[in-house]
Amino acid sequence: MSMSNPTLESLENEISEINFEQIKKKQRLKSFAKGMLFLLPSIVLFGAFLFYPLFKTIYLSFFLTNAQGETTVFVGLQNYIDMFASPVFQQSMKSTFLFVLYTVPTTVVIALFLAVLANEKLKGIGLFRTIFSSTMGISVAAASVFWLYMFHPSIGFLNKMLEIFGIDAIGWLTDPKWALLAVSATTIWMNLGFTFLILLGGLQSIDSYLYESADIDGASYFYKLRRITIPMLSPTLFFVITVTIINAFQTFGQIDILTQGGPQNTTNLIVYSIYREAFANYQFGTASAQSIVLFIIILVMTVLQFKLGERKVHYQ
Amino acid sequence: MKKQFLLTSLMMLLVVILAACNSNESSSTTETNSSNNSESTGDTESKEKQIVTFWHSMSGAGQETLNAIVEDYNNSQDDIQVNAEFQGTYDESLTKFNAVAGSDSAPTMIQTFEIGTRSMINSGQIVPIQEFVDADGYDMSGLEENITNYYSLDGKFYSMPFNSSTPVMYYNKDAFKEAGLDPEAPPETFEEVEAAGKAIVESNPDMKGFALQAYGWLWEQLLANQGALLLNNDNGRTGTPTEIGWTEEEGKSIFEWVKRMVDAGTFANYGTNSDNMMAGFLAGDVAMFLQSSASSRDVIDNAPFEVGIAFLPHPENKERQGVVIGGASLWMIDGKPEAEQKAAWEFMKYLQTPEVQAKWHIGTGYFAINPAAYDEQIVKDAYAEKPQLQVTVDQLQATKPSYATQGALMDMLPEGRKVMETALEKVYNGGDVDEAYNTAVEQFNAAIEKANAARGE
Repeated sequence: MSMSNPTLESLENEISEINFEQIKKKQRLKSFAKGMLFLLPSIVLFGAFLFYPLFKTIYLSFFLTNAQGETTVFVGLQNYIDMFASPVFQQSMKSTFLFVLYTVPTTVVIALFLAVLANEKLKGIGLFRTIFSSTMGISVAAASVFWLYMFHPSIGFLNKMLEIFGIDAIGWLTDPKWALLAVSATTIWMNLGFTFLILLGGLQSIDSYLYESADIDGASYFYKLRRITIPMLSPTLFFVITVTIINAFQTFGQIDILTQGGPQNTTNLIVYSIYREAFANYQFGTASAQSIVLFIIILVMTVLQFKLGERKVHYQ
Repeated sequence: MKKQFLLTSLMMLLVVILAACNSNESSSTTETNSSNNSESTGDTESKEKQIVTFWHSMSGAGQETLNAIVEDYNNSQDDIQVNAEFQGTYDESLTKFNAVAGSDSAPTMIQTFEIGTRSMINSGQIVPIQEFVDADGYDMSGLEENITNYYSLDGKFYSMPFNSSTPVMYYNKDAFKEAGLDPEAPPETFEEVEAAGKAIVESNPDMKGFALQAYGWLWEQLLANQGALLLNNDNGRTGTPTEIGWTEEEGKSIFEWVKRMVDAGTFANYGTNSDNMMAGFLAGDVAMFLQSSASSRDVIDNAPFEVGIAFLPHPENKERQGVVIGGASLWMIDGKPEAEQKAAWEFMKYLQTPEVQAKWHIGTGYFAINPAAYDEQIVKDAYAEKPQLQVTVDQLQATKPSYATQGALMDMLPEGRKVMETALEKVYNGGDVDEAYNTAVEQFNAAIEKANAARGE
């Protein structure tokens, strides 16, 4: 008996341990199922509209397709190899990065300048705020058509102005030296309203006691701007820069209306190039490969920004 | 402060909404109008009437004329109701069609441009029109020979020709007079165009001589006019093309012609934008340009000066061969009930009648598919008033039938056009002819190769 007691005990112990493990497992499963149930709506939506298209795009990028987009021949990485070797794609990448470089800093700096001005407490400032943010209310198509007439080589406003000053007419949208700059100017003008509004919102949410105590200390206007306004605005600035960069990479409407990618492919930005490959050339494989490259570029840019930029951002 | 900001943002929101409404309205009024009409009639009379859905890509004057024709047809009989739906440009319409092909949303018939011919046949979503021609005993030989040449393949019709146009040269007669040129004898060759351009610039430094839109279609036409093929294997009509069909001399002659004019300062560069070119011509900034004859009504009606229309120029050392039919044809879609297809066929036959074609020709500048239309009184009256319209018909009828003027068939043609457009723009902006030409040929061949590979052949 004295021998069997400890074995029984150990047995019981074992049983209770097993039970404990089982119950724990069961509970974990239950809570996992519950969690999944809560997540289900978003998983289904993301799955159907994000993950499925993403994986389908990756799949398509390894094939050649017919005009209906059905896969015909498996080519492996050939689409990617051809793409990087193609001078048209290289030009497209170069133009896209130049476009981002031209538009993003300029938009943010001008919008910040206007927002700081419009943040002053003056009579009738509401009117200026409305004017500064008014471009937000104009659709890409309407704005592009408006600029198309501004840029018109013979009857356009810009060339008429140059004529008055005795300067030769410029082929804004037909000269490869000018076309990308012209499209960039249009884009900056269009994005200004949105960027301005977000930055003004950020400025308005800065607590006034900071300025009051700075006033008591006798700080100058520019000192306050440098030491209070910009640091307190940094989360908004960070958001605006990220969104503007992503938008710049995804520019399509103004290109389609203003230049159709010409002259000499200098404004053939990557999204327009994807569109042409897919819906004019019916090469869905090449188009998918380009989409994947665009996805990776934006992903890397955004990660880099969060890694480098966020350190300098001050959250309240 | 906060309140004021709120007010401003509210105002902004209002502006946004207003702008959005406006832009939507302007773009889709015509579409909703036509679809509203069709819905209301469809509800009440769907039991007796067979509905035919017709996708087309005609905008502007073309859309107005087409809608009038469809309305006439619907009123002329009680069995068939045709609903004409505008689906954007040929490219956009084709993209939409590829998305809905095989489903219930697919139309009964669709209008597609000539270079889409090969990809429509390859798609397997269409019924060759020949089946209806045979079953009905319809005589296609009554139609314009130069037009049926393009759309028949090995003696078989896949689609019904509908709107056809060719490129012509428009010129400013008043400017010709001022420059001491004979407005009734427009230049015929590349060299004469150059000389006329120089004379115009000399008499009026504010006006350029000649404009050529960087448009692949025009380049193909200038090639065909020399008797050159675009693709090998007889422009893809006797076999699948494997490479370009033109010789270096033929292809380069166009680039060199443009280059000489650019260097002489008589060339106006409007890039790929045809609207800008047209506006420039109407504003007196350029004296000659090439464009589809389908624009002739628009140009003649809007110009504040006298407009002349001439044949497409050709190099001096080559004989004029004529032009390739451009424009679009009507396709019957597979998988629709027989009664619906029959109804669509009836409508197609109606469109070919001389009376309808006469209306179509003078309303738009597109050709009459049925030459009998030229004997209609309204056409004669229009010619008496605007004799220029007749030049477009003369040019078509003077065309020598050959593989070159029959036009090319291949599914990569839209891509090929873009390649040539880029090359032309390079030369417009002072680029080197050899470099632009060689790159273009290389890319053109690569596109052919890829299209063949994608078909798994």
